[in-house]
Amino acid sequence: MNGLIEQWIDWLPSLVDGLGVSVQLAVVSLLIGLPLGLAEALLVASPNRIVRWITLAVVEFGRGTPTLVLLYLIYYGLPSQGLVLPAFGSAVVALSFMTGAYTSEIIRASLQAVPRGLVEAAAALGINRWGTFRFILFPEGIRIAIPALMGFAIQLFQTTSLVFLITLPELLSRAYSIGSTTFQYTSVLALAGVLYLLVTLPSGWLAALLEKRMGRHLA
Amino acid sequence: MIPLDVLGNAIVMTVVITVSSFLIGAILGVPLVLLRTSRFGVVRVLTRALIDVLRGVPPVVWIFILYFGVSSDVIKLDPLTAAIGGLGVISCAYLAEIYRGGLLSVHAGQTEAAQALGFGQVGIFTRIVAPQAFRVCLPSAATYGIGLLKDSSLASTIGVAEIAFRATAQARSGGDGITPFVIAGVLYIALSMPLAYLSRTLDTKLRMKVSV
Amino acid sequence: MISVANLKKSYGDHTVLDGVSIEIQRGEVVAMIGPSGAGKSTLLRCLNLLERPDSGRITIGDTVVDLPAKIPVRTLETLRKTAGMVFQSFNLFPHLSVLRNVSLAQEYVLGRDAKAAHQRSMELLERVGLADKAGSYPARLSGGQQQRIAIARALAMEPEVMLFDEPTSALDPELGLDVLAVMRELAASGMTMVVVTHEIHFAQDVSDRVVMMADGGIIEQGDPAQVLSSPANPRTQRFLKAVIDR
Ligand SMILES: Nc1ncnc2c1ncn2[C@@H]1O[C@H](COP(=O)(O)OP(=O)(O)OP(=O)(O)O)[C@@H](O)[C@H]1O
Ligand SMILES: [Mg+2]
Repeated sequence: MNGLIEQWIDWLPSLVDGLGVSVQLAVVSLLIGLPLGLAEALLVASPNRIVRWITLAVVEFGRGTPTLVLLYLIYYGLPSQGLVLPAFGSAVVALSFMTGAYTSEIIRASLQAVPRGLVEAAAALGINRWGTFRFILFPEGIRIAIPALMGFAIQLFQTTSLVFLITLPELLSRAYSIGSTTFQYTSVLALAGVLYLLVTLPSGWLAALLEKRMGRHLA
Repeated sequence: MIPLDVLGNAIVMTVVITVSSFLIGAILGVPLVLLRTSRFGVVRVLTRALIDVLRGVPPVVWIFILYFGVSSDVIKLDPLTAAIGGLGVISCAYLAEIYRGGLLSVHAGQTEAAQALGFGQVGIFTRIVAPQAFRVCLPSAATYGIGLLKDSSLASTIGVAEIAFRATAQARSGGDGITPFVIAGVLYIALSMPLAYLSRTLDTKLRMKVSV
Repeated sequence: MISVANLKKSYGDHTVLDGVSIEIQRGEVVAMIGPSGAGKSTLLRCLNLLERPDSGRITIGDTVVDLPAKIPVRTLETLRKTAGMVFQSFNLFPHLSVLRNVSLAQEYVLGRDAKAAHQRSMELLERVGLADKAGSYPARLSGGQQQRIAIARALAMEPEVMLFDEPTSALDPELGLDVLAVMRELAASGMTMVVVTHEIHFAQDVSDRVVMMADGGIIEQGDPAQVLSSPANPRTQRFLKAVIDR
């Protein structure tokens, strides 16, 4: 038991650094992916049929393809087109693309869930389409979307574990490399699991709390 | 190009992983949800903690723990078993929560009505509550199945020769880094279509039935 | 003030407005009654183009809309500024404070500066008796309070006409009284009003004219005392009997 604790203390600094990379990756991908998702949600509702179909195809591909495949597609595919990105860049591109696709569906559904009456009230006041979106639809829609978006963010954070495949030194890849030199796989992977939980559990509770709160507000 | 039989095998492998881990989850999810809704507070709390831990660690970490950890410390597991085991364990946590959602959706009045009619505990559960809950669960279970299909690609990381694995091998040997992965992506989408269709039709059917 | 000529509207092959025509004078208060499905809401919603009529002509103030021609955005905006609307379900913006609900469109549509909008909002909240609720959020208020704020919000656009679609139907009778009081005051101040309502008392006391709609058309109209106490049309008789018996 003592041996285990000592080992863990030994490994902790490296793993915590890795956790930092994982969190960074998730945050950057959200910062790029969320506006992308909003744009896709709006384009899917475009009156132009071609725009609508292309966006829909992009969204469906992003949602239907395993993230691992997207990651490889970017990491191996772009260089063969002459565009070489560093590992972090490739990971951000893949995860943002995936984030855009998933969140566009969440945002679209949330915008549709805004009561029609509010939109009509805005129209009756003479507020134009852009104003209605900016002052009514967007704030109301985001409020409805927040629990689902938080759930997605937690999922995305977990998905960052895949980037060990493209040798980015995040949490899992550090745990794996410690495992491959010490052969203490169970122990080091368990510690990595604990570190993941340190982020996912509190975020999950927060999301549940928010969801309950919002339910009360709207009732 | 990849020979067709190799591609066929890869598709079969993807389906095997998905279906097996789903079945494990669907079956083990039942006792888990019973514990999760137990009369005893301690049991409920412990089960909830277990479910949260299972869902809070990335799937690939579970697969690694089974394949690299358990396999060297406890019992030798081949890659396919480790992948199915890892995904199956997570599935039972997710499906237990889906079942729980279904159970909660059955109105308390149903139980009371059944009690008033003289049904016993077991009868109430098997005849009244479970069938209604099951129908409510189907769409979310189908959605989860689609997620699992995509997660089955994680098996490639420990060398199971499924779709993503074949695509990677092809990209590495062929020098074309795009086509194999686009084809792989399209294959996954194609495989998920029957499930998506099922989930959507069931959902609309249920809605029509429920909303009187 | 309002002139509607041969207005038609159908959903698919279901005709909801079958060539409705009506003239309403400035300062007149018209109460519109009729059974469910008669097309009252549709007529009201066509007046400020929340619903697009199929054909006919609508004139409100100086704004003329001829259908089925395309409606210029300008015309649409003027029309909606000229006609304020109050909905059965209030439709206050839940993420905005009461004050912000009233001031938002003043700033965004009328281009008032924040200070002027704030001042005007407070005057109007005062007028509907809810100045003390300026900082609250809609969810904290009773239905009657919400509806009075919705009235203040519509008045803030300085409309020349106010359209009410069953403003008290979603309220407990007691809460409805406060709303009706505000509407009485508004009528007394000379506002042109079209009120779809099942409140026969309100129609009797406050309106200058009662209009009875059924099956997509106006089947009877006239002086409130006459229409409500001795209607000529048997359909109106049946309807009023049903309302009073309930
Ligand atoms: N968006 C729509 N699509 C199809 N039919 C509609 C729509 N809106 C209204 N209708 C139909 O038009 C008819 C008139 O509706 P309207 O709401 O104007 O009636 P109303 O006189 O206001 O009735 P109520 O007293 O119930 O409010 C109804 O038969 C209704 O079903
Ligand atoms: Mg109506």
